[in-house]
Amino acid sequence: MNTSFLLFALLNPLFALLAAPLYMALIRKIKAYAQGRKGPRLFQVYYDLKKLMKKETVYSPTSSWVMRFTPYLNLSTLLVCSLFVPLVFVPEPAGGLGNIIVFLYLLALERFFTALGGLDAGSAFGGMGSSRSMSLAAVIEPTMVISFAALAFVLKSLNLHEMFALTAGKILPISPTLVLVSISLFIILIVETGRLPVDNPATHLELTMINEAMILEQAGKNLALLELAHALKQLLLMGILINTILPVGLSTEIDAGKIAVSTLLFLVKAGLLAVIIGLFESSLAKMRLFRLPAFYVMAFFFSAITILIEVFA
Amino acid sequence: MIDPTFLEGIIKILFVFVLISAGLIISTRNLSSVLTAYTIQSFLLAAVSSLLYMIDGKNQLLLLAVLTLASKVILIPYFISRIEQKIKIGRDLHFAYLEPTPSLLLSIGLIILSYTFLSGVFKGLPLSKLFFFGAVIGLSLTLMGMLVVFSRKRVITKALGYLSMENGVLMFGLFVTELPFIIEVLIIIDLIILVILTTIMAVGMDSSIEEYRQKFRKLQIWTGGESQ
Repeated sequence: MNTSFLLFALLNPLFALLAAPLYMALIRKIKAYAQGRKGPRLFQVYYDLKKLMKKETVYSPTSSWVMRFTPYLNLSTLLVCSLFVPLVFVPEPAGGLGNIIVFLYLLALERFFTALGGLDAGSAFGGMGSSRSMSLAAVIEPTMVISFAALAFVLKSLNLHEMFALTAGKILPISPTLVLVSISLFIILIVETGRLPVDNPATHLELTMINEAMILEQAGKNLALLELAHALKQLLLMGILINTILPVGLSTEIDAGKIAVSTLLFLVKAGLLAVIIGLFESSLAKMRLFRLPAFYVMAFFFSAITILIEVFA
Repeated sequence: MIDPTFLEGIIKILFVFVLISAGLIISTRNLSSVLTAYTIQSFLLAAVSSLLYMIDGKNQLLLLAVLTLASKVILIPYFISRIEQKIKIGRDLHFAYLEPTPSLLLSIGLIILSYTFLSGVFKGLPLSKLFFFGAVIGLSLTLMGMLVVFSRKRVITKALGYLSMENGVLMFGLFVTELPFIIEVLIIIDLIILVILTTIMAVGMDSSIEEYRQKFRKLQIWTGGESQ
Protein backbone atom coordinates (compact mmCIF):
# COMPACT_ATOMS: atom_id res chain seq x y z
CA MET A 1 0.00 0.00 0.00
CA ASN A 2 1.62 3.23 -1.10
CA THR A 3 1.00 6.81 -0.04
CA SER A 4 -0.71 7.66 -3.29
CA PHE A 5 -3.27 4.98 -2.64
CA LEU A 6 -3.74 5.94 1.00
CA LEU A 7 -4.52 9.51 0.01
CA PHE A 8 -6.89 8.21 -2.67
CA ALA A 9 -8.61 5.93 -0.15
CA LEU A 10 -9.24 8.97 2.04
CA LEU A 11 -10.27 11.49 -0.60
CA ASN A 12 -12.25 9.48 -3.11
CA PRO A 13 -14.93 7.90 -0.87
CA LEU A 14 -15.33 11.16 1.03
CA PHE A 15 -15.83 13.11 -2.17
CA ALA A 16 -18.20 10.48 -3.55
CA LEU A 17 -20.25 10.44 -0.37
CA LEU A 18 -20.56 14.21 -0.28
CA ALA A 19 -21.27 14.74 -3.97
CA ALA A 20 -23.59 11.77 -4.59
CA PRO A 21 -26.87 13.25 -3.29
CA LEU A 22 -26.23 16.46 -5.21
CA TYR A 23 -26.69 14.71 -8.56
CA MET A 24 -29.87 13.00 -7.39
CA ALA A 25 -31.14 16.49 -6.64
CA LEU A 26 -29.86 17.94 -9.92
CA ILE A 27 -31.62 15.27 -12.00
CA ARG A 28 -34.81 15.90 -10.03
CA LYS A 29 -34.45 19.63 -10.66
CA ILE A 30 -33.96 19.15 -14.40
CA LYS A 31 -37.02 16.93 -14.56
CA ALA A 32 -39.00 19.53 -12.65
CA TYR A 33 -37.96 22.26 -15.11
CA ALA A 34 -38.89 19.99 -18.02
CA GLN A 35 -42.35 19.64 -16.51
CA GLY A 36 -42.66 23.39 -15.97
CA ARG A 37 -42.24 23.23 -12.19
CA LYS A 38 -39.58 24.90 -10.11
CA GLY A 39 -38.64 21.81 -8.13
CA PRO A 40 -37.00 21.56 -4.71
CA ARG A 41 -33.74 23.37 -3.92
CA LEU A 42 -30.56 21.50 -4.74
CA PHE A 43 -29.66 21.10 -1.08
CA GLN A 44 -33.09 19.86 -0.08
CA VAL A 45 -31.91 16.28 -0.53
CA TYR A 46 -29.22 16.82 2.14
CA TYR A 47 -31.82 18.25 4.54
CA ASP A 48 -34.04 15.26 3.83
CA LEU A 49 -31.23 12.86 4.63
CA LYS A 50 -30.48 14.77 7.83
CA LYS A 51 -34.14 14.63 8.82
CA LEU A 52 -34.36 10.91 8.14
CA MET A 53 -31.22 10.31 10.21
CA LYS A 54 -32.93 11.80 13.25
CA LYS A 55 -36.16 9.89 12.82
CA GLU A 56 -37.12 6.75 14.68
CA THR A 57 -36.58 3.47 12.83
CA VAL A 58 -39.67 1.28 12.73
CA TYR A 59 -39.49 -2.41 11.85
CA SER A 60 -42.26 -4.70 10.72
CA PRO A 61 -42.93 -7.37 13.38
CA THR A 62 -42.23 -10.14 10.85
CA SER A 63 -38.84 -8.78 9.86
CA SER A 64 -35.55 -10.44 10.79
CA TRP A 65 -31.91 -9.33 11.03
CA VAL A 66 -31.78 -9.01 7.23
CA MET A 67 -33.77 -5.83 7.25
CA ARG A 68 -31.61 -4.27 9.99
CA PHE A 69 -28.41 -5.36 8.31
CA THR A 70 -29.17 -4.47 4.66
CA PRO A 71 -28.76 -0.65 4.87
CA TYR A 72 -25.36 -0.92 6.55
CA LEU A 73 -24.22 -3.61 4.14
CA ASN A 74 -25.37 -1.65 1.10
CA LEU A 75 -23.68 1.56 2.09
CA SER A 76 -20.44 -0.15 3.10
CA THR A 77 -20.39 -2.19 -0.13
CA LEU A 78 -20.74 0.96 -2.16
CA LEU A 79 -18.10 2.74 -0.11
CA VAL A 80 -15.75 -0.10 -1.00
CA CYS A 81 -16.87 0.27 -4.62
CA SER A 82 -15.96 3.94 -4.45
CA LEU A 83 -12.35 2.84 -3.95
CA PHE A 84 -12.57 1.26 -7.39
CA VAL A 85 -13.66 4.23 -9.46
CA PRO A 86 -11.21 7.13 -9.55
CA LEU A 87 -13.14 10.40 -9.34
CA VAL A 88 -10.62 12.87 -7.95
CA PHE A 89 -7.36 11.41 -9.26
CA VAL A 90 -6.03 8.08 -10.50
CA PRO A 91 -3.76 6.42 -7.92
CA GLU A 92 -1.14 3.78 -8.52
CA PRO A 93 -2.86 0.38 -8.40
CA ALA A 94 -2.63 -1.38 -5.05
CA GLY A 95 -3.61 -4.93 -4.21
CA GLY A 96 -6.73 -6.23 -5.90
CA LEU A 97 -8.53 -2.92 -5.57
CA GLY A 98 -9.81 -1.70 -8.89
CA ASN A 99 -10.44 -5.15 -10.27
CA ILE A 100 -13.47 -4.96 -12.50
CA ILE A 101 -14.73 -8.44 -11.64
CA VAL A 102 -14.68 -7.69 -7.92
CA PHE A 103 -16.51 -4.44 -8.70
CA LEU A 104 -19.27 -6.29 -10.55
CA TYR A 105 -19.59 -8.83 -7.72
CA LEU A 106 -19.86 -6.06 -5.14
CA LEU A 107 -22.69 -4.49 -7.14
CA ALA A 108 -24.36 -7.90 -7.35
CA LEU A 109 -24.02 -8.33 -3.57
CA GLU A 110 -25.69 -4.98 -3.04
CA ARG A 111 -28.51 -5.88 -5.39
CA PHE A 112 -28.99 -9.26 -3.73
CA PHE A 113 -29.30 -7.78 -0.27
CA THR A 114 -31.63 -5.02 -1.43
CA ALA A 115 -33.93 -7.70 -2.85
CA LEU A 116 -33.64 -9.76 0.33
CA GLY A 117 -34.44 -6.69 2.43
CA GLY A 118 -37.52 -6.11 0.28
CA LEU A 119 -38.73 -9.65 0.92
CA ASP A 120 -37.93 -9.56 4.62
CA ALA A 121 -40.66 -7.19 5.75
CA GLY A 122 -43.29 -9.58 4.43
CA SER A 123 -45.35 -6.94 2.63
CA ALA A 124 -46.85 -7.65 -0.76
CA PHE A 125 -45.14 -4.68 -2.41
CA GLY A 126 -41.65 -5.60 -1.23
CA GLY A 127 -42.06 -9.14 -2.51
CA MET A 128 -43.20 -7.93 -5.90
CA GLY A 129 -40.37 -5.43 -6.13
CA SER A 130 -37.76 -8.04 -5.24
CA SER A 131 -39.20 -10.56 -7.65
CA ARG A 132 -39.15 -8.02 -10.47
CA SER A 133 -35.70 -6.77 -9.57
CA MET A 134 -34.28 -10.28 -9.62
CA SER A 135 -35.93 -11.32 -12.87
CA LEU A 136 -34.68 -8.15 -14.56
CA ALA A 137 -31.23 -8.66 -13.02
CA ALA A 138 -31.07 -12.01 -14.79
CA VAL A 139 -31.26 -10.10 -18.06
CA ILE A 140 -29.21 -7.00 -17.25
CA GLU A 141 -26.29 -8.81 -15.64
CA PRO A 142 -25.06 -10.53 -18.80
CA THR A 143 -25.33 -7.14 -20.47
CA MET A 144 -23.26 -5.53 -17.72
CA VAL A 145 -20.64 -8.25 -17.87
CA ILE A 146 -20.41 -7.96 -21.65
CA SER A 147 -20.18 -4.15 -21.57
CA PHE A 148 -17.47 -4.13 -18.93
CA ALA A 149 -15.70 -6.89 -20.84
CA ALA A 150 -15.80 -4.66 -23.91
CA LEU A 151 -14.34 -1.81 -21.84
CA ALA A 152 -11.62 -4.10 -20.48
CA PHE A 153 -10.87 -5.38 -23.94
CA VAL A 154 -10.54 -1.93 -25.50
CA LEU A 155 -8.39 -0.56 -22.66
CA LYS A 156 -6.39 -3.82 -22.34
CA SER A 157 -6.68 -4.17 -18.58
CA LEU A 158 -8.94 -5.72 -15.94
CA ASN A 159 -8.13 -3.03 -13.41
CA LEU A 160 -10.26 0.10 -13.41
CA HIS A 161 -7.36 2.20 -12.09
CA GLU A 162 -5.05 1.04 -14.88
CA MET A 163 -7.78 1.61 -17.46
CA PHE A 164 -8.41 5.15 -16.39
CA ALA A 165 -4.71 5.89 -15.97
CA LEU A 166 -4.55 5.14 -19.69
CA THR A 167 -7.39 7.48 -20.64
CA ALA A 168 -6.69 10.16 -18.01
CA GLY A 169 -6.04 13.65 -19.24
CA LYS A 170 -6.92 12.97 -22.86
CA ILE A 171 -9.42 15.31 -24.41
CA LEU A 172 -11.07 12.78 -26.68
CA PRO A 173 -11.65 9.05 -26.04
CA ILE A 174 -8.53 7.14 -27.11
CA SER A 175 -10.35 4.66 -29.33
CA PRO A 176 -13.50 5.20 -31.41
CA THR A 177 -14.89 1.97 -29.98
CA LEU A 178 -15.09 3.64 -26.57
CA VAL A 179 -17.91 5.79 -27.92
CA LEU A 180 -19.85 2.62 -28.57
CA VAL A 181 -19.02 1.13 -25.17
CA SER A 182 -20.20 4.27 -23.46
CA ILE A 183 -23.63 3.97 -25.07
CA SER A 184 -24.02 0.58 -23.38
CA LEU A 185 -22.65 2.06 -20.16
CA PHE A 186 -25.30 4.77 -20.34
CA ILE A 187 -28.06 2.17 -20.68
CA ILE A 188 -26.59 0.29 -17.70
CA LEU A 189 -26.54 3.53 -15.70
CA ILE A 190 -30.22 4.11 -16.47
CA VAL A 191 -31.21 0.54 -15.63
CA GLU A 192 -29.08 0.15 -12.50
CA THR A 193 -30.29 3.36 -10.91
CA GLY A 194 -33.91 2.53 -11.64
CA ARG A 195 -34.72 5.44 -13.91
CA LEU A 196 -37.25 5.83 -16.70
CA PRO A 197 -38.01 3.98 -18.98
CA VAL A 198 -37.24 1.07 -16.64
CA ASP A 199 -38.51 2.22 -13.30
CA ASN A 200 -39.93 5.50 -12.10
CA PRO A 201 -37.95 6.85 -9.15
CA ALA A 202 -40.37 9.71 -8.50
CA THR A 203 -43.42 7.82 -7.35
CA HIS A 204 -44.63 5.32 -4.80
CA LEU A 205 -47.98 4.99 -6.48
CA GLU A 206 -47.19 2.92 -9.47
CA LEU A 207 -47.88 -0.78 -9.34
CA THR A 208 -44.87 -1.42 -11.55
CA MET A 209 -42.30 0.17 -9.26
CA ILE A 210 -39.18 -1.87 -8.70
CA ASN A 211 -36.55 -0.13 -6.62
CA GLU A 212 -38.99 1.95 -4.57
CA ALA A 213 -41.03 -1.16 -3.75
CA MET A 214 -38.05 -2.86 -2.17
CA ILE A 215 -37.25 0.02 0.17
CA LEU A 216 -40.88 0.85 0.91
CA GLU A 217 -40.80 -0.78 4.35
CA GLN A 218 -37.58 0.91 5.44
CA ALA A 219 -37.81 3.92 7.70
CA GLY A 220 -35.72 6.50 9.48
CA LYS A 221 -31.98 6.08 9.54
CA ASN A 222 -32.08 2.88 7.49
CA LEU A 223 -33.95 4.63 4.69
CA ALA A 224 -31.41 7.45 4.73
CA LEU A 225 -28.56 4.96 4.42
CA LEU A 226 -30.28 3.15 1.56
CA GLU A 227 -30.95 6.38 -0.32
CA LEU A 228 -27.37 7.45 0.18
CA ALA A 229 -26.19 4.07 -1.12
CA HIS A 230 -28.43 4.45 -4.15
CA ALA A 231 -27.07 7.94 -4.86
CA LEU A 232 -23.52 6.63 -4.43
CA LYS A 233 -24.13 3.84 -6.91
CA GLN A 234 -25.41 6.36 -9.41
CA LEU A 235 -22.38 8.60 -8.95
CA LEU A 236 -19.95 5.70 -9.36
CA LEU A 237 -21.58 4.50 -12.57
CA MET A 238 -21.61 8.08 -13.80
CA GLY A 239 -17.91 8.28 -12.90
CA ILE A 240 -17.09 5.22 -15.00
CA LEU A 241 -19.00 6.62 -17.95
CA ILE A 242 -17.34 10.05 -17.64
CA ASN A 243 -13.85 8.61 -17.28
CA THR A 244 -14.47 6.54 -20.39
CA ILE A 245 -15.91 9.12 -22.71
CA LEU A 246 -14.65 12.47 -21.42
CA PRO A 247 -11.55 11.95 -19.29
CA VAL A 248 -10.24 15.48 -19.80
CA GLY A 249 -8.53 16.93 -16.73
CA LEU A 250 -8.39 13.72 -14.68
CA SER A 251 -5.08 13.88 -12.83
CA THR A 252 -2.68 10.98 -12.34
CA GLU A 253 -0.28 12.81 -10.06
CA ILE A 254 -0.58 13.77 -6.41
CA ASP A 255 -0.53 17.51 -6.57
CA ALA A 256 -2.93 19.68 -4.59
CA GLY A 257 -3.60 22.01 -7.51
CA LYS A 258 -4.11 19.25 -10.05
CA ILE A 259 -6.38 17.28 -7.74
CA ALA A 260 -8.48 20.38 -7.11
CA VAL A 261 -8.79 21.04 -10.84
CA SER A 262 -9.66 17.43 -11.55
CA THR A 263 -12.28 17.38 -8.79
CA LEU A 264 -13.86 20.61 -9.98
CA LEU A 265 -13.89 19.38 -13.56
CA PHE A 266 -15.49 16.16 -12.44
CA LEU A 267 -18.23 18.12 -10.67
CA VAL A 268 -18.91 20.04 -13.89
CA LYS A 269 -18.82 16.96 -16.13
CA ALA A 270 -21.07 14.99 -13.79
CA GLY A 271 -23.42 17.98 -13.73
CA LEU A 272 -23.55 17.88 -17.51
CA LEU A 273 -24.25 14.15 -17.47
CA ALA A 274 -26.97 14.67 -14.86
CA VAL A 275 -28.61 17.22 -17.15
CA ILE A 276 -28.50 14.73 -20.00
CA ILE A 277 -29.99 12.00 -17.80
CA GLY A 278 -32.74 14.37 -16.64
CA LEU A 279 -33.64 15.33 -20.21
CA PHE A 280 -33.46 11.69 -21.31
CA GLU A 281 -35.83 10.71 -18.53
CA SER A 282 -38.22 13.55 -19.29
CA SER A 283 -38.43 12.59 -22.94
CA LEU A 284 -39.47 8.98 -22.37
CA ALA A 285 -42.51 7.20 -21.06
CA LYS A 286 -42.17 4.21 -18.82
CA MET A 287 -41.97 0.90 -20.65
CA ARG A 288 -44.23 -1.98 -19.86
CA LEU A 289 -42.51 -4.48 -17.60
CA PHE A 290 -42.59 -7.27 -20.17
CA ARG A 291 -41.13 -5.05 -22.86
CA LEU A 292 -38.03 -4.38 -20.78
CA PRO A 293 -36.04 -7.46 -21.83
CA ALA A 294 -36.15 -6.14 -25.42
CA PHE A 295 -34.55 -2.90 -24.17
CA TYR A 296 -31.80 -4.77 -22.34
CA VAL A 297 -31.18 -7.15 -25.20
CA MET A 298 -30.55 -4.14 -27.41
CA ALA A 299 -27.76 -3.08 -25.02
CA PHE A 300 -26.48 -6.64 -24.96
CA PHE A 301 -26.53 -6.78 -28.76
CA PHE A 302 -24.68 -3.48 -28.89
CA SER A 303 -21.90 -4.58 -26.53
CA ALA A 304 -21.57 -8.01 -28.10
CA ILE A 305 -21.10 -6.41 -31.52
CA THR A 306 -18.58 -3.95 -30.07
CA ILE A 307 -16.53 -6.84 -28.74
CA LEU A 308 -16.82 -8.74 -32.03
CA ILE A 309 -15.64 -5.73 -34.01
CA GLU A 310 -12.87 -4.92 -31.56
CA VAL A 311 -11.60 -8.51 -31.50
CA PHE A 312 -11.97 -9.49 -35.12
CA ALA A 313 -11.78 -6.35 -37.23
CA MET B 1 -5.22 13.53 -47.59
CA ILE B 2 -6.91 11.99 -44.56
CA ASP B 3 -5.14 9.25 -42.64
CA PRO B 4 -6.47 5.82 -43.82
CA THR B 5 -6.29 4.26 -40.34
CA PHE B 6 -8.56 7.05 -39.06
CA LEU B 7 -11.00 6.35 -41.90
CA GLU B 8 -10.88 2.65 -41.08
CA GLY B 9 -11.75 3.47 -37.46
CA ILE B 10 -14.79 5.38 -38.67
CA ILE B 11 -15.80 2.52 -40.96
CA LYS B 12 -15.63 0.18 -37.94
CA ILE B 13 -18.04 2.40 -36.03
CA LEU B 14 -20.33 2.53 -39.08
CA PHE B 15 -20.29 -1.30 -39.14
CA VAL B 16 -21.64 -1.37 -35.62
CA PHE B 17 -24.38 1.11 -36.49
CA VAL B 18 -25.31 -0.85 -39.61
CA LEU B 19 -25.79 -3.95 -37.45
CA ILE B 20 -27.73 -1.94 -34.87
CA SER B 21 -30.08 -0.68 -37.57
CA ALA B 22 -30.56 -4.29 -38.69
CA GLY B 23 -31.36 -5.15 -35.07
CA LEU B 24 -33.90 -2.33 -34.99
CA ILE B 25 -35.55 -3.60 -38.17
CA ILE B 26 -35.87 -6.99 -36.47
CA SER B 27 -37.23 -5.75 -33.17
CA THR B 28 -39.11 -2.47 -33.63
CA ARG B 29 -42.88 -2.60 -33.58
CA ASN B 30 -43.58 0.87 -34.92
CA LEU B 31 -43.85 0.79 -38.71
CA SER B 32 -42.46 4.26 -39.30
CA SER B 33 -39.48 3.46 -37.03
CA VAL B 34 -38.76 0.34 -39.07
CA LEU B 35 -38.73 2.51 -42.18
CA THR B 36 -36.47 5.06 -40.48
CA ALA B 37 -34.10 2.28 -39.45
CA TYR B 38 -33.96 1.09 -43.06
CA THR B 39 -33.33 4.63 -44.32
CA ILE B 40 -30.52 5.10 -41.79
CA GLN B 41 -29.04 1.74 -42.75
CA SER B 42 -28.97 2.71 -46.42
CA PHE B 43 -27.48 6.07 -45.54
CA LEU B 44 -24.74 4.34 -43.54
CA LEU B 45 -24.02 2.12 -46.52
CA ALA B 46 -23.66 5.18 -48.72
CA ALA B 47 -21.30 6.63 -46.12
CA VAL B 48 -19.21 3.44 -46.01
CA SER B 49 -19.04 3.47 -49.80
CA SER B 50 -17.84 7.06 -49.94
CA LEU B 51 -15.26 6.42 -47.17
CA LEU B 52 -13.97 3.48 -49.19
CA TYR B 53 -13.73 5.85 -52.13
CA MET B 54 -11.53 8.12 -50.00
CA ILE B 55 -9.26 5.16 -49.22
CA ASP B 56 -9.27 3.47 -52.64
CA GLY B 57 -10.04 6.29 -55.01
CA LYS B 58 -12.18 4.19 -57.35
CA ASN B 59 -14.85 6.34 -59.01
CA GLN B 60 -17.22 3.40 -59.09
CA LEU B 61 -17.53 3.55 -55.31
CA LEU B 62 -18.50 7.20 -55.36
CA LEU B 63 -21.12 6.52 -58.03
CA LEU B 64 -22.47 3.69 -55.93
CA ALA B 65 -22.72 6.00 -52.93
CA VAL B 66 -24.65 8.58 -54.94
CA LEU B 67 -26.92 5.93 -56.41
CA THR B 68 -27.63 4.43 -52.99
CA LEU B 69 -28.35 7.84 -51.59
CA ALA B 70 -30.75 8.72 -54.37
CA SER B 71 -32.62 5.44 -54.53
CA LYS B 72 -32.53 3.88 -51.09
CA VAL B 73 -32.40 6.94 -48.89
CA ILE B 74 -34.80 9.14 -50.81
CA LEU B 75 -36.91 7.37 -53.41
CA ILE B 76 -37.77 4.00 -51.84
CA PRO B 77 -38.48 5.34 -48.32
CA TYR B 78 -40.69 7.98 -49.94
CA PHE B 79 -42.81 5.34 -51.67
CA ILE B 80 -43.03 3.18 -48.59
CA SER B 81 -44.03 6.07 -46.38
CA ARG B 82 -46.81 6.78 -48.90
CA ILE B 83 -48.01 3.20 -48.43
CA GLU B 84 -47.81 3.55 -44.67
CA GLN B 85 -50.01 6.64 -44.81
CA LYS B 86 -52.53 4.82 -46.99
CA ILE B 87 -52.91 1.69 -44.93
CA LYS B 88 -53.48 3.67 -41.74
CA ILE B 89 -51.85 1.22 -39.36
CA GLY B 90 -48.93 2.37 -37.27
CA ARG B 91 -47.65 -0.82 -35.76
CA ASP B 92 -46.68 -4.35 -36.62
CA LEU B 93 -47.25 -6.55 -33.61
CA HIS B 94 -47.52 -9.87 -35.38
CA PHE B 95 -44.58 -12.19 -35.29
CA ALA B 96 -44.36 -15.73 -36.53
CA TYR B 97 -42.02 -18.37 -35.01
CA LEU B 98 -39.82 -15.87 -33.12
CA GLU B 99 -40.44 -12.87 -30.88
CA PRO B 100 -38.03 -9.91 -31.32
CA THR B 101 -35.91 -10.65 -28.23
CA PRO B 102 -34.94 -14.21 -29.22
CA SER B 103 -34.50 -12.97 -32.81
CA LEU B 104 -31.88 -10.47 -31.62
CA LEU B 105 -30.03 -13.14 -29.67
CA LEU B 106 -30.25 -15.42 -32.69
CA SER B 107 -28.80 -12.71 -34.89
CA ILE B 108 -25.69 -12.51 -32.69
CA GLY B 109 -25.41 -16.23 -33.41
CA LEU B 110 -25.84 -15.50 -37.13
CA ILE B 111 -22.99 -12.98 -37.06
CA ILE B 112 -20.69 -15.50 -35.40
CA LEU B 113 -21.85 -18.16 -37.85
CA SER B 114 -21.06 -16.01 -40.87
CA TYR B 115 -17.70 -15.15 -39.32
CA THR B 116 -16.70 -18.80 -38.95
CA PHE B 117 -18.12 -19.65 -42.36
CA LEU B 118 -16.35 -16.85 -44.20
CA SER B 119 -13.06 -17.34 -42.36
CA GLY B 120 -13.05 -20.85 -43.83
CA VAL B 121 -13.90 -19.56 -47.30
CA PHE B 122 -11.36 -16.73 -47.38
CA LYS B 123 -8.51 -18.70 -45.85
CA GLY B 124 -5.35 -17.84 -47.73
CA LEU B 125 -6.79 -14.98 -49.71
CA PRO B 126 -4.96 -11.66 -49.42
CA LEU B 127 -7.85 -9.80 -47.81
CA SER B 128 -7.25 -7.17 -45.12
CA LYS B 129 -9.02 -7.59 -41.78
CA LEU B 130 -11.33 -4.67 -42.37
CA PHE B 131 -12.43 -5.96 -45.75
CA PHE B 132 -12.94 -9.41 -44.36
CA PHE B 133 -15.09 -8.03 -41.59
CA GLY B 134 -17.06 -5.98 -44.10
CA ALA B 135 -17.86 -9.23 -45.87
CA VAL B 136 -18.91 -10.81 -42.57
CA ILE B 137 -21.22 -7.87 -41.84
CA GLY B 138 -22.64 -8.06 -45.36
CA LEU B 139 -23.44 -11.75 -45.03
CA SER B 140 -24.92 -11.38 -41.55
CA LEU B 141 -27.01 -8.43 -42.73
CA THR B 142 -28.42 -10.65 -45.47
CA LEU B 143 -29.20 -13.39 -42.95
CA MET B 144 -30.78 -10.90 -40.55
CA GLY B 145 -32.94 -9.58 -43.40
CA MET B 146 -34.03 -13.15 -43.99
CA LEU B 147 -34.89 -13.39 -40.28
CA VAL B 148 -37.13 -10.34 -40.71
CA VAL B 149 -38.80 -11.87 -43.77
CA PHE B 150 -39.78 -15.01 -41.95
CA SER B 151 -40.44 -13.67 -38.45
CA ARG B 152 -42.73 -10.80 -39.44
CA LYS B 153 -46.27 -11.37 -40.60
CA ARG B 154 -47.14 -8.03 -42.17
CA VAL B 155 -46.31 -7.78 -45.84
CA ILE B 156 -44.89 -4.27 -45.55
CA THR B 157 -42.27 -5.29 -42.97
CA LYS B 158 -41.49 -8.36 -45.03
CA ALA B 159 -40.72 -6.03 -47.94
CA LEU B 160 -38.46 -3.98 -45.68
CA GLY B 161 -36.71 -7.18 -44.59
CA TYR B 162 -36.12 -8.01 -48.22
CA LEU B 163 -34.72 -4.53 -48.86
CA SER B 164 -32.43 -4.93 -45.86
CA MET B 165 -31.25 -8.26 -47.32
CA GLU B 166 -30.33 -6.43 -50.49
CA ASN B 167 -28.35 -3.93 -48.42
CA GLY B 168 -26.40 -6.90 -47.11
CA VAL B 169 -25.62 -8.02 -50.65
CA LEU B 170 -24.45 -4.51 -51.49
CA MET B 171 -22.22 -4.46 -48.41
CA PHE B 172 -20.76 -7.85 -49.30
CA GLY B 173 -20.15 -6.61 -52.84
CA LEU B 174 -18.46 -3.45 -51.60
CA PHE B 175 -15.88 -5.33 -49.59
CA VAL B 176 -15.22 -8.55 -51.46
CA THR B 177 -16.45 -9.33 -54.90
CA GLU B 178 -16.38 -6.04 -56.80
CA LEU B 179 -19.74 -6.57 -58.44
CA PRO B 180 -19.77 -4.94 -61.86
CA PHE B 181 -21.37 -1.54 -61.56
CA ILE B 182 -24.04 -2.33 -64.13
CA ILE B 183 -25.33 -5.19 -61.96
CA GLU B 184 -25.63 -2.87 -58.97
CA VAL B 185 -27.67 -0.48 -61.09
CA LEU B 186 -29.90 -3.31 -62.27
CA ILE B 187 -30.48 -4.49 -58.71
CA ILE B 188 -31.44 -1.02 -57.62
CA ILE B 189 -33.85 -0.65 -60.53
CA ASP B 190 -35.36 -3.99 -59.55
CA LEU B 191 -35.81 -2.74 -56.03
CA ILE B 192 -37.51 0.42 -57.16
CA ILE B 193 -39.88 -1.59 -59.35
CA LEU B 194 -40.59 -3.90 -56.42
CA VAL B 195 -41.47 -0.96 -54.24
CA ILE B 196 -43.61 0.67 -56.92
CA LEU B 197 -45.47 -2.59 -57.38
CA THR B 198 -46.10 -2.82 -53.68
CA THR B 199 -47.37 0.74 -53.75
CA ILE B 200 -49.84 -0.18 -56.47
CA MET B 201 -50.89 -3.22 -54.53
CA ALA B 202 -51.34 -1.21 -51.36
CA VAL B 203 -54.84 -2.58 -51.37
CA GLY B 204 -53.66 -5.62 -49.49
CA MET B 205 -50.70 -4.16 -47.71
CA ASP B 206 -52.46 -3.90 -44.36
CA SER B 207 -52.94 -7.62 -43.99
CA SER B 208 -51.03 -10.85 -43.56
CA ILE B 209 -50.35 -13.07 -46.57
CA GLU B 210 -53.38 -15.28 -45.89
CA GLU B 211 -55.75 -12.33 -45.65
CA TYR B 212 -54.06 -10.84 -48.66
CA ARG B 213 -54.95 -13.83 -50.79
CA GLN B 214 -58.53 -13.66 -49.61
CA LYS B 215 -58.71 -9.98 -50.47
CA PHE B 216 -57.32 -10.73 -53.90
CA ARG B 217 -59.87 -13.46 -54.38
CA LYS B 218 -62.65 -11.14 -53.32
CA LEU B 219 -61.52 -8.52 -55.78
CA GLN B 220 -61.03 -11.25 -58.41
CA ILE B 221 -57.52 -10.07 -59.21
CA TRP B 222 -55.81 -13.39 -58.70
CA THR B 223 -57.33 -16.72 -57.77
CA GLY B 224 -54.11 -18.38 -56.72
CA GLY B 225 -54.57 -21.26 -59.15
CA GLU B 226 -57.77 -22.42 -57.50
CA SER B 227 -60.98 -22.47 -59.44
CA GLN B 228 -63.84 -20.77 -57.72
